[in-house]
Amino acid sequence: MTEKLAILWPEIFLFIATCLVMITGQWPSRAIRAFTPWICAVALFAAFGAAMSSPGSGSAHGGMFPEIVPYAKMLIAAVGMLILLLLSGTVDRELEAEVDAGKPFSSIRSNRGEFYAFFMFSLTGLMLTASADDLIWLFLALELTSLPTYIMVAISTERKKSLEAAVKYFFLGALGAAIFLYGFALIYGATGSTNLSEIATVFATQTANGGISSLGMIGLLIAIIGIAFKIAAVPMHFYTPDVYQGAASPVAAMLAFVPKTAGFLALMFILGTVGWNDGTAGGGHLPVAIEATLWIMAALTMTVGNILALLQTSVKRILAYSSIAHSGYMLVGLIAGPGIIGGPFYQNGLAAVLFYLLTYGIMTVGVFAVLASLEHRNGDEADDMDDIRGLCKSHPVLGWTLVICTLSMLGFPPLLGFLGKVGLFTSGIAAGQYALIVILGINSAIAACYYLRLVAAAYIDDKGKVSSPVYASPFATRKIAGVVSAFFVLFLLVFAQPMINGAYNASKYVPAVAGEVEHNDHTDRHTQSSPAKADEDVALTHKALID
Amino acid sequence: MYTLAEANEISAYLPVLLMIIGAAGFAGANLLFSFILGPRRAGERKGETYESGMDAVGTARKRFNIRFYLIAMVFLVFDVEIIFLYPWAQTFTSLDPMSDSSQIWLLRILFFLFTTLVAYIYGYRKGVFKFD
Repeated sequence: MTEKLAILWPEIFLFIATCLVMITGQWPSRAIRAFTPWICAVALFAAFGAAMSSPGSGSAHGGMFPEIVPYAKMLIAAVGMLILLLLSGTVDRELEAEVDAGKPFSSIRSNRGEFYAFFMFSLTGLMLTASADDLIWLFLALELTSLPTYIMVAISTERKKSLEAAVKYFFLGALGAAIFLYGFALIYGATGSTNLSEIATVFATQTANGGISSLGMIGLLIAIIGIAFKIAAVPMHFYTPDVYQGAASPVAAMLAFVPKTAGFLALMFILGTVGWNDGTAGGGHLPVAIEATLWIMAALTMTVGNILALLQTSVKRILAYSSIAHSGYMLVGLIAGPGIIGGPFYQNGLAAVLFYLLTYGIMTVGVFAVLASLEHRNGDEADDMDDIRGLCKSHPVLGWTLVICTLSMLGFPPLLGFLGKVGLFTSGIAAGQYALIVILGINSAIAACYYLRLVAAAYIDDKGKVSSPVYASPFATRKIAGVVSAFFVLFLLVFAQPMINGAYNASKYVPAVAGEVEHNDHTDRHTQSSPAKADEDVALTHKALID
Repeated sequence: MYTLAEANEISAYLPVLLMIIGAAGFAGANLLFSFILGPRRAGERKGETYESGMDAVGTARKRFNIRFYLIAMVFLVFDVEIIFLYPWAQTFTSLDPMSDSSQIWLLRILFFLFTTLVAYIYGYRKGVFKFD
């Protein structure tokens, strides 16, 4: 109990802030309302500090990923702060203008409290995903991450398009959740436990005795397909462009980072139960059915994302398809797996994925920050390619931020994105996935077409005769978010070693050993309990949890 | 006898399959028999929403005051709170009052009540309790 509490402090800080902002966000006093984002910022700083001094997950994960918690939560808190800077001014703009004009404040029309509370809820869920050691916990954490984002999409703008996007996102999200929950149920049926490390032990025993049971394999595959919704990978990617375009740019930036990180952490834990060692001569592979599924998913995700991005004229849709493509890149790291235990960083696919999540979060916040900092005279956000033409001349700071972050997404050598991609490439090669690496290379070349189109539009093109020019939006923090991201993209390469070390430590993977599972009270309860004993059982379970 | 948890083979799920077939069969048979055996009398009275009740007034697709939804939400908050309080109270009395576990048990419910309090303040600030 207390061990678990020790790794949960970041979540507790975020949750307390959630409770506070829900109330301060709709306070009649303007000063208290304006203070709301600061509460979020303080909580994120506290969570970052708590994560830094947090022990590794220790008993959580039963030693499968003993070191992942501090790195994952620091990553979440750091990118969360960047997104928080972006979010300012997204909701309640008209309402605050009316209050300035002398009208009384109407709390029922205000969305500020809910907006920041949902943002914090989502980050809390994301951190809980990182600490998950149980299928049920994992499911609840994933849903806590996703549910608030549906509503954030709906309230992010006043346009009908946001509502449409939110409804699409919600129904497809519910479908995805149902699919992976079904997979979890089958895994439980096949192994008799919801605890990840116990599942890993059962699978290891089954592998040693001639292979994983067909029921467990089907469960794993279904769970993977369901989680593909969170990371926007191919069979479940259809919602991405519509939702990103319908949501306000700051919320779209959040959608690109938060569910993706949750999905990749969940996939790591799920794949960790079967391990990257199928017993073949070479070793270091997932079971063949899972590897084949992930292989096809990765190849299709990259290709579909990049090719469809070529056809878009809306910058947000381009970024949505590029987000799909980046998920495909990261799946390569998951297929490669941790490599030889104790091997170097460049052979470790999981470390590459964890590092890439950080770089992707920073780059994508940077690009969306540029879009969020521009608006038309009527308050519409910048979205079309025409809106960013000649940006380096008209708004030099925003223009260069766009150029730097886009080049980084492309993987241009001296920038941060390059370093992330190198890890994926080398780990794929070390795992012998040559065909996939060739596809990854070809896709990076395809991606260059549309990324360079964005760069060219901002840097080379002239403003020319544009019907509706864009202006800088009045929220300075959005610009700051963009500039900070661009700064990180440029200079983090110099200081990248500690972060690479962090990702490398976090990816430490201890495979399960075949053997008999020690059932504790907690799992046996399901088979033994009778209604008369229910009260006693609750007390027993509780004691077991405390122990 | 083995439990589902220990079953590795699909065949162990045969009882579940039989159950599904039984359930679907029951529903299907009921529909079928009422279709075959049921009397059919079409007419104006038959087509009404409440055949033997009040005459329907107006349309069902009208707007309700938003307050109904707010009250429904507040009701849910307190309803769920009560649902959790009962089993908690049942278990709490069986714990040794001096033990660590009883203190943790108490702290947990206090934390849970704190979240309900937040929901209450939130609802109050939103004006849910203003019945003017």
